[in-house]
Amino acid sequence: MLVTSALITGLALGSMYGLLALGFYITYAVSSTVNFAQGSSMMLGAVFAYTFAVTLGWPFLPAALLALALCALYGMLVELLAVRPFARRGSSAWLMATVALGIIADNTVLFTFGKEPRGFSLAWATGSVQIAGINVSHLQIAIPVVGLSLAAALHLFSRKTRPGKAMLAVVQNPDAARLMGINVPLAISIAYAASTLLAGAAGIMIAPLFNVHSDMGTLFGLKAFAVAILGGITSAWGVMLAGLIFGLTESLITALLGSAYTQILSFALVIVALALMPNGLFGRAEVKKV
Amino acid sequence: MRAAFFILSFAAALVFTAQANSYYVFIMATLALTAIVGIGLNVLLGLTGQVSFGHVGFYALGAYAVAVLTVAAKWSFWAALPVAALVAGVTGALLALPAVRVRGPYLAMVTIAFGFIVEHVAVEWRGLTGGQNGIMGIPQPSALGFAFGERGVALTAIVFAAAATWAYSVFAKSTFGYAMRAVKDSEVAAESIGLAPVRIKTAAFAISACCAGIAGGLFAPLSGFVTPSTFAFSQSILFVLVVLIGGAGSVAGPLVGATIVVLLPEVLAGLAEYRLLFFGALLLVVLLLAPAGVVGTVSSLFSSRKRPRRAEVEQAPIGPAARAALAVGGLGITFGGVRAAHDISLEAKPGEVTSLIGPNGAGKTTVLNMLSGFYRPAAGSIRIGDTQVQGLPAWRIARTGVARTYQTTQLFGSMTVAENIAIASGSEALLGFVGYAGDLDARAADLPHVDKRLVEIARALARRPSVLLLDEPAAGLSVQDKHKLERLLRRIADAGVAVVLVEHDMSVVMGISDRVVVLDAGLKIAVGTPAEVQQDAAVKKAYLGEGEHLPAAQRGAPGAPLLEVGKLMAGYGAEPVLKGVDLGVREHEMVAVLGANGAGKSTLMRAISGLHRPVEGGIALGGAEISREPAHRVVAHGVVLVPEGRQVFPELSVLDNLALGAFSRKRWNPEEIGAVLERFPKLRARLHQRAGLLSGGEQQMLAIARGLMAKPRLLLLDEPSLGLAPQVINDLFAALDRLRAEAATILLVDQMAGLALALADRAYVIEGGRIVACGTAGEIAGDGALEKAYLAAPAA
Amino acid sequence: MKLLLAAFAFLLGISNANAQTIKIGLVTALSGQSARAGEAITRGLTVAIEEINAKGGVLGRKLELVRRDDEATPAKGVIAARELVFREKVAVLFGGLDTPVSLAIVPIVNQEKVPFMGPWAAGTPITKNGANPNFVFRVSAVDEIVNRAMLQYAQKTFNAKNCGMILVNNPWGESNEKGLLAALGAKGMKPAGIEKFEGNDVDVVPQLTRLKNAGADCLFLVGNVGPSAQVVKSLDRMGWKPPIVSHWGPAGGRFTELAGPSAKDVHFVQTYSFFGKQTPVGQKVLKALMAKYPDIKSPGDVTPAVGVANAYDAMMLTAMAIQNAGSTDGAKIREGYYKIGQYQGLIKTYNKPFTPGNHDAVNENDYVWTQFIDNQILPVGMKK
Repeated sequence: MLVTSALITGLALGSMYGLLALGFYITYAVSSTVNFAQGSSMMLGAVFAYTFAVTLGWPFLPAALLALALCALYGMLVELLAVRPFARRGSSAWLMATVALGIIADNTVLFTFGKEPRGFSLAWATGSVQIAGINVSHLQIAIPVVGLSLAAALHLFSRKTRPGKAMLAVVQNPDAARLMGINVPLAISIAYAASTLLAGAAGIMIAPLFNVHSDMGTLFGLKAFAVAILGGITSAWGVMLAGLIFGLTESLITALLGSAYTQILSFALVIVALALMPNGLFGRAEVKKV
Repeated sequence: MRAAFFILSFAAALVFTAQANSYYVFIMATLALTAIVGIGLNVLLGLTGQVSFGHVGFYALGAYAVAVLTVAAKWSFWAALPVAALVAGVTGALLALPAVRVRGPYLAMVTIAFGFIVEHVAVEWRGLTGGQNGIMGIPQPSALGFAFGERGVALTAIVFAAAATWAYSVFAKSTFGYAMRAVKDSEVAAESIGLAPVRIKTAAFAISACCAGIAGGLFAPLSGFVTPSTFAFSQSILFVLVVLIGGAGSVAGPLVGATIVVLLPEVLAGLAEYRLLFFGALLLVVLLLAPAGVVGTVSSLFSSRKRPRRAEVEQAPIGPAARAALAVGGLGITFGGVRAAHDISLEAKPGEVTSLIGPNGAGKTTVLNMLSGFYRPAAGSIRIGDTQVQGLPAWRIARTGVARTYQTTQLFGSMTVAENIAIASGSEALLGFVGYAGDLDARAADLPHVDKRLVEIARALARRPSVLLLDEPAAGLSVQDKHKLERLLRRIADAGVAVVLVEHDMSVVMGISDRVVVLDAGLKIAVGTPAEVQQDAAVKKAYLGEGEHLPAAQRGAPGAPLLEVGKLMAGYGAEPVLKGVDLGVREHEMVAVLGANGAGKSTLMRAISGLHRPVEGGIALGGAEISREPAHRVVAHGVVLVPEGRQVFPELSVLDNLALGAFSRKRWNPEEIGAVLERFPKLRARLHQRAGLLSGGEQQMLAIARGLMAKPRLLLLDEPSLGLAPQVINDLFAALDRLRAEAATILLVDQMAGLALALADRAYVIEGGRIVACGTAGEIAGDGALEKAYLAAPAA
Repeated sequence: MKLLLAAFAFLLGISNANAQTIKIGLVTALSGQSARAGEAITRGLTVAIEEINAKGGVLGRKLELVRRDDEATPAKGVIAARELVFREKVAVLFGGLDTPVSLAIVPIVNQEKVPFMGPWAAGTPITKNGANPNFVFRVSAVDEIVNRAMLQYAQKTFNAKNCGMILVNNPWGESNEKGLLAALGAKGMKPAGIEKFEGNDVDVVPQLTRLKNAGADCLFLVGNVGPSAQVVKSLDRMGWKPPIVSHWGPAGGRFTELAGPSAKDVHFVQTYSFFGKQTPVGQKVLKALMAKYPDIKSPGDVTPAVGVANAYDAMMLTAMAIQNAGSTDGAKIREGYYKIGQYQGLIKTYNKPFTPGNHDAVNENDYVWTQFIDNQILPVGMKK
């Protein structure tokens, strides 16, 4: 029973790690840059959704959709302010710049949203069903379902729609994509919007579990980045799979050994994995040129 | 003068702390400790360019080491502090093992993981660390019978900070400090002068960890207690902020940064709770507008105009430390299933210039990379004199007497010209020898192109190499500078160095080489004196193509002018690749542009298609100016480029590739795919396969088909025959011939002059960025200008 | 540049030398999950200070409250305490919401001889810190007493025989673990199990499952608002509804909001409630609160009441101590505390509350058991 419960929790958390990591993958694939403060995007999703759904009392779906739209806008802002000026001149300072923007976002929320964590309860998420003898809340089922659906939707979008294939083209060969008439800077901007949208969606799904506060995303974002690296930041299915494995492993270690060791083991695993495979588990090494 | 400023500041800090209110004592101590960590981090981040978001881990290690030793083991503080420094330093070196193998975000992740592990181990290892409660009651140090108290610790911290500042300023100017900056600027170039980047980066980690450990060790008695929550991840970010805001790499940077980070909340008083918001915004502003930090920006405002120093043109020692021949046997390497080089054997004798030539993609740079150790060959042997060096890391090969220059010059940009030579242990006279006439103290990154090349050669000579490898040194040089280069290379060879030259400019190659080796598609196809090679039939075929294709029937008269290019200038840096090109294509015409590599053909295509921006001069399509349009809008005008190297989208299917070809059109009919497949029937069978799996020829067909899907008004073809087998070239010819018969408007660039001339109505010959001949295909084919341009051979 | 800044700071130090008011310092959590509790303490102190100032202040001088946020970490708490002691030169320091923070501040106040009055943090070693002279006083619950009361309440109300402990993994949890084991041991009992969980754990089901499997018929819960809420939610997921007897962590914040409807099943200890018949002091304080704070319209809005009540009484007692001392000298104020005789306070009537052997003014007879009903803290059994 212990293990079953751990697996269900792990699946939920893992799919959320996967969504954030997918966000990392999207921007890295298209532009070789990431929003290192992805955790802040996740937090913004939860905070926006809380503001619309609870503070303003809107019904959940419009609140969530507007929150997601604002997250997407935030992503484009991140790209414009903290990535484009540096990528353009070949500097790698975008790493620190996105961290700086994350600090600004976290603290702005701290002073506007409030300093206490707030509870976000969703009426449809509180009921539960019996699975294999334990209570599983609707939310715990919804989270992995939503997470995997979003990942699948992204996959379908990129493979079956015209703009999706255009994004894949940019990933695979930016210069040739330009020659097709694809506006690559716009594609990068859209990639960032998609990345923060995914993170925001994860934030909204997690909010009822974690409660909403200004630094709810920091540790989550860092672990998601570890997931993205382990999955090989050059492969979409790799990161999603890595997210699920990471979430399940964390959950099982917590259940069997105690939660204290979970952090130590997960982070140690990251270092070992990178030491052995500097390109991630599923990623492909590129040929160096000089 | 600057030293006096530092001494005064520290003295003032000591005086202030000696009599200040206890609150300010604590503040000054915090400032000093933050500065110490910052100085250490400056070595890692500022000098060596490695980011670390985990330095609070070393700080914690130092603090806990002192806490455990002084509380549980009852050691004296002065004995515990060095142990703390040692523990932190050794851990830093161990962390370097995984950390130096990765870069960028991966490196960030390794350091973050480390910080978290330290924090959580501190929580879990209750027996040693007291768990969440931490260790309380850490005694304060005493010396000579006097108990230190907080004030004493604060004063000690300031003294340590002063010592660290002094140590840094000495270190930064030392050879090791320069070696670190070299690794940061260009790891490749650092290896080529014999520096071992892994060792240097490891040392940087160890030093910065040691500093953080000392600071942590001082923190323990200052605070009186240590708990895991004191050493949270956010502290690491603050440490990085200290270095970046202050000015990475500068001596005063961490001091200024620490002052801002620690004292600003005090000054802000009521707004102190907004300090993190303020720091975040400040960091972003610094990164965007003042990347050199406060110190860097201020000092650049006040930088004194030093009088330029020139090198003396005197005798420079350039002979090799030991004469040795380079002998290569059976060298081969494969990339992703493609044999980039196979069974390459060659010899370069001391005192001779041996040139390596071949068409695009022949593998010349690949061979050079294997010789210098940048690639590890899959097969074969490389001997320098009697020493086998194949498979050794680049820095080891460099130390056996091999030096190298690069296609894109790899100078240590942040250092001056003199420093670039000094780090390679060379004398400044070398600069005079190579003909560098500029300021010795100019920043290398700011030099004009030709000077960069000269300095790179001088640096390569600094270690008295036996073998000098040069990768396209003449690219981008004016005719005059090329002559100077020729003379320089000749003198270097005459001094006893074995010079190996990869070069496209045939006049340079043929002018100074003793021996020429010709590569094509990864194989050696000819070797001999320049004259022998120029007459070699295989060589001519490799460069010029078969010339067996007979031109098809004449076409109708061309239409109105479609593409007009006037005085087009484009290039990288000071010396443009295109120096004023005029050409035109009329509707229904097929025009070829021919010329040797490096002449500017590809740049011309990239300029017309919009991939290369900005350009000077005019490019007009049907009267509309497109020279300022980016590539994705040029397509909308109807100019479609089939780029060099096919450039299909490898993971997408053939069908998807074709569909993307029509991306720029608002409406298109899926039946057009059928029409295009009818033109290239071999693609039909592979319609749903991943394009990357197709053979070279099939990919080329796909690329052309994809281009046609855009319904171009003008189709640009860049080197379609590159890397294709002869049979496939026939198929290509047939396809292009059909297009020609349909009166498509095409501008074609190809190495295979014979192929191009068989198809084109008119042709241009481009050399050195300028059009040197134009006329009908027949005129150009008969004129000896082509052979001269390609092979610098006298007209046959 | 460093010169200028050092000089500037020096001047700042000098400029704080004016001494018309007597400064009372407060270090507490003003942000994070327990921010409401910090705000409650602030309000209790403010109401008391305004009442005192209206009567002319202490020693002819008005009292002034200076607050700093400890962000619930010992490191920040220590920095804040130093600032208040050395820079603001407070006569008495109030503080500590979290036990670890208070424990870290204790050495400083004892060294600098500044009285430290705790209105909330319950860790036993805070006042029983072995220092002599001991400058730390408390008007609040004490863990080892609370632990005895928890066991007593569990036995009386729920007939509990086999209690399991679910404790947050920090010094406060450890303090209570000791206290609960001692309380059980005194009655010859053993716990069903002792489980720890991390403060930011979301899923406590594994630990709770182990307690359930060990046959626990009642749970002792110790943790702040956030962690306690996660325990409640985890129990929901398990479908297990044992009685829960808790320390007062849930009182610190928006427990019902964070934990959901099952929040009402947690019975926790308080020192005071504004519900029910109030003494004249209670009526006075409630009236003052409603006048000063527009969001307080009824007793239920004073949440957590214990923060207000403890702080109010603590401030009143402190004012008496300063008056007894005749000066703002720390050592004299300490003696002044011992000289306090009778005081009719909010929580109770105090009679010689502090002696050299006892620095805790509140004991188990003063505890009240409460529940969260719809975000308000009501005494158990009272309907709204």
